[in-house]
Amino acid sequence: MSSTLLDPTAELTPVGRQRRERLDGLDGRIVGLLDISKPRGDVFLDRVQELLEHDGATVRRYAKPTFSKPAPVDLRQEIATTCDAVIEALAD
Amino acid sequence: MHDISDIERRGLPAVFVASIEFSTAADAQAEALGFEPARVYTEHPIQDRTDEEIRVIAEKAYAELTDALTS
Amino acid sequence: MDPTALPDGLVAFVKRDCPTCTMIEPVLRELDVAGRLSRVYTQDDPAFPDVGSRADDTDLAASWHHRIDVVPTLMSVVDGVVVDRIVGWSRDLWAGLSGIDALGLEAGIPDFQAGCGSLSVDPDRVAELEVRFGDGVASRRVEVASAEDPIEATYDRGWSDGLPLVPPTPQRVNRMLGGTTRRRGEVVAVVPPNLVPCSVEKVAINAVMAGCRPEYLPVVLTAVEAACTDEFNMHGLVATTMPVGPVVLVNGPIRRAIGMNTGVNVLGQGNRANSTIGRALQLVIRNVGGGQPGGVDQATHGNPGKVGFCFAEDEEGSPWESYAAQQGFGPEQSTVTLFAGEGPRCVVDQLSRDPDQLARSLAVNLVATTHPKLAKAFDAILVFSPEHAARFAEAGWSKQHLHDRLLEYTTRPGTEIVQGANGIAEGIAPELAGTEVPKFRPDGGLMIVHAGGRAGLFSAIIGGWINGDLGSRPVTREIIA
Repeated sequence: MSSTLLDPTAELTPVGRQRRERLDGLDGRIVGLLDISKPRGDVFLDRVQELLEHDGATVRRYAKPTFSKPAPVDLRQEIATTCDAVIEALAD
Repeated sequence: MHDISDIERRGLPAVFVASIEFSTAADAQAEALGFEPARVYTEHPIQDRTDEEIRVIAEKAYAELTDALTS
Repeated sequence: MDPTALPDGLVAFVKRDCPTCTMIEPVLRELDVAGRLSRVYTQDDPAFPDVGSRADDTDLAASWHHRIDVVPTLMSVVDGVVVDRIVGWSRDLWAGLSGIDALGLEAGIPDFQAGCGSLSVDPDRVAELEVRFGDGVASRRVEVASAEDPIEATYDRGWSDGLPLVPPTPQRVNRMLGGTTRRRGEVVAVVPPNLVPCSVEKVAINAVMAGCRPEYLPVVLTAVEAACTDEFNMHGLVATTMPVGPVVLVNGPIRRAIGMNTGVNVLGQGNRANSTIGRALQLVIRNVGGGQPGGVDQATHGNPGKVGFCFAEDEEGSPWESYAAQQGFGPEQSTVTLFAGEGPRCVVDQLSRDPDQLARSLAVNLVATTHPKLAKAFDAILVFSPEHAARFAEAGWSKQHLHDRLLEYTTRPGTEIVQGANGIAEGIAPELAGTEVPKFRPDGGLMIVHAGGRAGLFSAIIGGWINGDLGSRPVTREIIA
């Protein structure tokens, strides 16, 4: 059930939940590729990995045990403590 | 989308890739979560394509992916 | 139908759940039959009363707008304006308004009977009505999505200090605003670091989130005012790398009125007023002022009191006048005092029986705030426990005498504490070597208060931030409304 709250801030920023600040570049960064484990997603991510590495990023590969549930918490923790950014693919 | 929401909560910029077929469901999930993560859509279908076709789809999506992660 | 527009003639407001209203149903029918009843608004049952000019006001829009407190109410409307109003049933008064005598006499209705409370002033309904019909809410509304937990939503939007917040729904904020007579749009202070004008409403929203009760709001409002003065220098306090934050001391009758803790664990957790008032102030600084850890707040370590640090002086058990009394306030006045301070440290002294011994014992602890070899630039609060205070009371020491002895015993030869002395680089400027250097400035640099449990031969020292023009001065303000 949705509800309304009153904004406690100075209202200088947009009201919705904001995305995290983006990286200022890829070179030298660690990008995590999280495979949601639907068929063929790995082929997609293989190619993305090649392109990222060509652009100077270090790539780490991860996979969910199953696409039908959220990733386990220790996987999310590992990603969050290791990587600078994440691409999750491929929901089809 | 829950994963992306959680990963962003932990401080990392993230982007979610789905085929265009999935876009309505993704939008609905985003609305329900109250969070609009960065998303990139590919053509559909994916699962019965050849490896080469999928590699091309990845190449086409790459520019959008890097845009989505960098500012 | 526009709830604000009334037809000319006689207009009544009733509810079925009112013995007087049901009793006078025959009267309403008489008036209706005589063509004298332009409209009857019903607050609960749309089928009541049994007259043609009945109107459904179950959403209470008309009752709210026309400020109906009691049912039945009978109004006389001329050219759309209410010119007369009767509350309750009185045959004579209703005759006066309607021009019809002997109303209800045949039905055996008594001459008069008091009415009942209108649903539009029912405490269970008012908060929702205020939200629905608008009461000048100025703050932006934030929609929480269907799959979002409201508490997680407040975290996700960056409003939290790390602990869970009470989601600030419009109803909760309206209830909170009931704790003050100030108007919600009134500007309380300009809040640093972003120098944002902050309304009573914004303070109320943050007070809700902190977990305050409405009766705490006047204390929070006054604390915000005091914190945002140039003297107190909240901006500097947020931006410093020192571990300090705003410490709120409350004096006067309001302490007991709102149930603050002045005794056991007074500086610790467990009391709602103590814990939430200080928190509300910090949330205002964070959310309205924009002063957040990692942003403007780059404190090296900080301290747990930065979640909120508020306590009340035990005036009743004190052998001395209160801190507020020393500032010239009377016993009927309640005050907040803002102090820029770190977390408290404990002084253990279980052996001193003589007041002079105890004063010297406290003094060697007092000189250690910030650094034993630093002096003059920092203030402190000394919180006496009842047991320690008793030592001085037994010997008849006044607060002034105690203060003067403490200042004396915390004064040291400059040679001991200049930079480099004792093989320690830190210290006061070398030029002061030939002088006697007081630790505290004599004009209020050492604040003495009395609080704590009745058992414990300990006192507490709350070390301060930099004083003077570059730093902060303690600020006391009366709590009015």
